[in-house]
Amino acid sequence: MKKAFVAALLIITAIPLLIGVAALPPHGETTAPVHTHISARYLMRGAEEAGADNIVTGVLLNYRGLDTAGEVTVIFTALVAGLAVLITRRKEPGAKADSAARGDVPAPPPVSPVVSFVVQLLAPFIALFAVYVILNGHVTPGGGFQGGAILGALFIALTIVLGEGRTRSLMPRLALPWMQGAALISFVVVGVLGAGLTGYFLGFPAEASLHLVRELMMLVLEAGIGLGGAAIFATLFLQMEAE
Amino acid sequence: MLQALWDNLDYVAPVVLFCIGLYIIIAKNNLIKKFLGLNIMETAVFSFIIALGVVDGGDAPIMGADARAPFASPVPQALVLTGIVVAVSTTALALSLIIRIYRQCGTIEADELREME
Repeated sequence: MKKAFVAALLIITAIPLLIGVAALPPHGETTAPVHTHISARYLMRGAEEAGADNIVTGVLLNYRGLDTAGEVTVIFTALVAGLAVLITRRKEPGAKADSAARGDVPAPPPVSPVVSFVVQLLAPFIALFAVYVILNGHVTPGGGFQGGAILGALFIALTIVLGEGRTRSLMPRLALPWMQGAALISFVVVGVLGAGLTGYFLGFPAEASLHLVRELMMLVLEAGIGLGGAAIFATLFLQMEAE
Repeated sequence: MLQALWDNLDYVAPVVLFCIGLYIIIAKNNLIKKFLGLNIMETAVFSFIIALGVVDGGDAPIMGADARAPFASPVPQALVLTGIVVAVSTTALALSLIIRIYRQCGTIEADELREME
């Protein structure tokens, strides 16, 4: 009974989708509407207008900068909400003794020595690659979000291999809130700087003489997004692992 | 109709993926599996939007000395980047809620949770 219901629902969903898909313009042709309106303009003039050779980065940080600022807020809100859901016990003065008393928690399964060795061997190269992806996002494929994801994944891999105690020191308690908010902070800083230069929040100066300023603003945004994204992923992972 | 579907096979694949995700959400009982299904649906939508912007023989929309037209449309790519970040955020929040549910109720099977009420 339930199976028939599910099958019927899937068919009811699939048929309108397939009809719609069949009526779309053929795949891969340059005459499709998606290639004719703003896309064409972005491709023609985006590199000089937005100041980034990578048009996707130009669209994200310049043309649709406010949208990306909202997106950064979404990740930060997810972190706040996730922590609000996960942290239930109020920290009391005796909390330290409490965590020591929980020594009966079963130890995590041991990690294979091969995995451990390879992760530790590759860690510096992965970190270098992440920094490259973050800082080169405006001229090559990549950017803050991608590099931040790599950095966060590296942190998670290291935590699994080395244990929480040794990777915690990568995120000092005092700097942690600033790292988690790095993306938002960089957007505010660059936005206000843009307001001072052009009169619009997150406005990028269009003059050719200010090319370096524009590039610097993009770099600050990318670095902020990368660092903030990585810190948020890492924090959420640590909090989930602590359960 | 069938010919049109065959020509647009790149759009049909996301539809199939979407239905797989929907099936998992409806049919599976485990909350984590349900959210895996939701993630599959999200991936289907992203791949559909990306497929819309593809051009035959096109290059990535990165300008430079040796860049040559045609280029893939940059707008779908930027939109999907935004979408992926939102999807990650919802997944993180969902997993946090599942952990909390497990801690409170001791199970993440939907039917057992329903019985508890």
